[in-house]
Amino acid sequence: MIPAAEVRGLSVSYQGRPVLRDATMTVPAGVVMGVVGPNGSGKSTLLKAMLGLVTPSAGEARFFGSALPRVRQRVGYMPQHTAVDWDFPTTVGDVVLMGTYGRLGWLRRPGRTERDTAARAMESTGIGDLAGRQIGQLSGGQRQRVFLARTLAQQPDLFVMDEPFQGVDAVSQQAIVDVLHRLRREGRTVILVHHDLGTVTTYCDHVTLLGAGRVISSGGVDKHFTDSHIAAAYGLAR
Amino acid sequence: MTPAAFLSDHTFVMVTAGTTVIGGVAGALGSFAYLRRQSLVSDVISHAALPGTLLAFLLLTALGRDGRTMLGLLIGATVTGTVAVIAANAITRHSRVAIDTAMALVLSTLFGLGMLLMQHIQRRPLPGKGDIQDYLFGNASTITRADLTVSLAVGTLTVGVVAVFWKEFAVATFDRDLAGLLGFHHRILDPLIFGAIAVATVIGLKAVGLVLMVAFVVTPPAAARQWTRTLPGMVIVSALIGAGASALGAYLSIVLGPVPTGPVIVLVLFLVFIVSLLLSPRSIVLAAYRRRRSPALP
Repeated sequence: MIPAAEVRGLSVSYQGRPVLRDATMTVPAGVVMGVVGPNGSGKSTLLKAMLGLVTPSAGEARFFGSALPRVRQRVGYMPQHTAVDWDFPTTVGDVVLMGTYGRLGWLRRPGRTERDTAARAMESTGIGDLAGRQIGQLSGGQRQRVFLARTLAQQPDLFVMDEPFQGVDAVSQQAIVDVLHRLRREGRTVILVHHDLGTVTTYCDHVTLLGAGRVISSGGVDKHFTDSHIAAAYGLAR
Repeated sequence: MTPAAFLSDHTFVMVTAGTTVIGGVAGALGSFAYLRRQSLVSDVISHAALPGTLLAFLLLTALGRDGRTMLGLLIGATVTGTVAVIAANAITRHSRVAIDTAMALVLSTLFGLGMLLMQHIQRRPLPGKGDIQDYLFGNASTITRADLTVSLAVGTLTVGVVAVFWKEFAVATFDRDLAGLLGFHHRILDPLIFGAIAVATVIGLKAVGLVLMVAFVVTPPAAARQWTRTLPGMVIVSALIGAGASALGAYLSIVLGPVPTGPVIVLVLFLVFIVSLLLSPRSIVLAAYRRRRSPALP
């Protein structure tokens, strides 16, 4: 079966300083892959380089067996909520609607179908009642749910999420977890950067451990999320 | 002066109508520069436009045409203005140089080049070079009916581009990465957005001048943002503020003066901005006043 994502030898340097070295991982279709590691280990960079948001110095990523431009509509990205200006004059509903623009393509306007898709995405993340709200008035957790709803509105087969639980309250956390479980049941594929070692096995069935810009281990959690691998990723190994 | 007397004077009407069009278009497009946190692109564009206009002047004169036709001026200015902004962004993306530094570099270099070209033109016996220094500080009283027609046509075209690419402009302005991932390529959208901002800036060169044009692009959106909650709302209010302040400023410059029109409009715009800061729903001054009037419950 063709994997949802395949990363081969991906390397990234910022201003000559390597931040990701020769990263390789395979994300089989239908799994939840946790990308785990200490701060600065290259987790976000790995995601951004896969998607071409930063230019890799070497290596490549393929999605469903193809380069990204050929399968754009099948890949959704949920950035960290710090990625945009939350003082932008727009509403929750309009931001979520942007998720549908990819399928629309150039120049076509969103219509009833797109609005319905956005409304369903907001309902499933529990922000249906916030559609008309200014995005500047949202809490951290609500912002994450807006981005999650926008990604759902893209209707992708692969969800790439950068720290979806960063700075969220308990209600938002539960809403996001519910969506993750639903996606898993539906057989979608998820790659998520995750910080909390304690819940990796709860949410993820695969894991990629990163340490100092290198992939320490990647595969099923039972074999690869081991104490020795975790110690190596966090620089605790002797 | 009675309104009837005002309206019967061709120059007064041209000045008012011309600056109103300039203010409206610059206000609408300025919103996108403001929201990209690149308000100063208009300053880069207007300064970088100088060599463009002068090169267009030289080219047209060499071809035996009128070197100061509005359309030629606009094309030359838009080309160098857009290239300058794209160059400043490219410098930032491919080096450690920050965007403000890159903008200042590009702005001053191209302006220097423009000054050399101006010197060159003034030393040569070229026809129609007389008011060429007007591009620096502008002269609204030189707006002709032909200029107004060209400004209106080009302004309408620019606003039309925004309307046609509304969805793409909105997503690229709010979340550049998302736009790229959805397939709205930066290499198409960036030149479109910056080109539209460039046109909105350079249509004011002749009337307002390159030094003050930045105020027409920066101030209306900054004021409009205080009153509006959505992108369409902001663009429309910003355009209305730009057009309204320009009409009022042009009128005042004639009845109080004559004094130079551009500077009066800039002052009117600044007043609108201050009033917006103080009285709009987002005003921190008003919020502080309300808090003092109704102290929080213990």
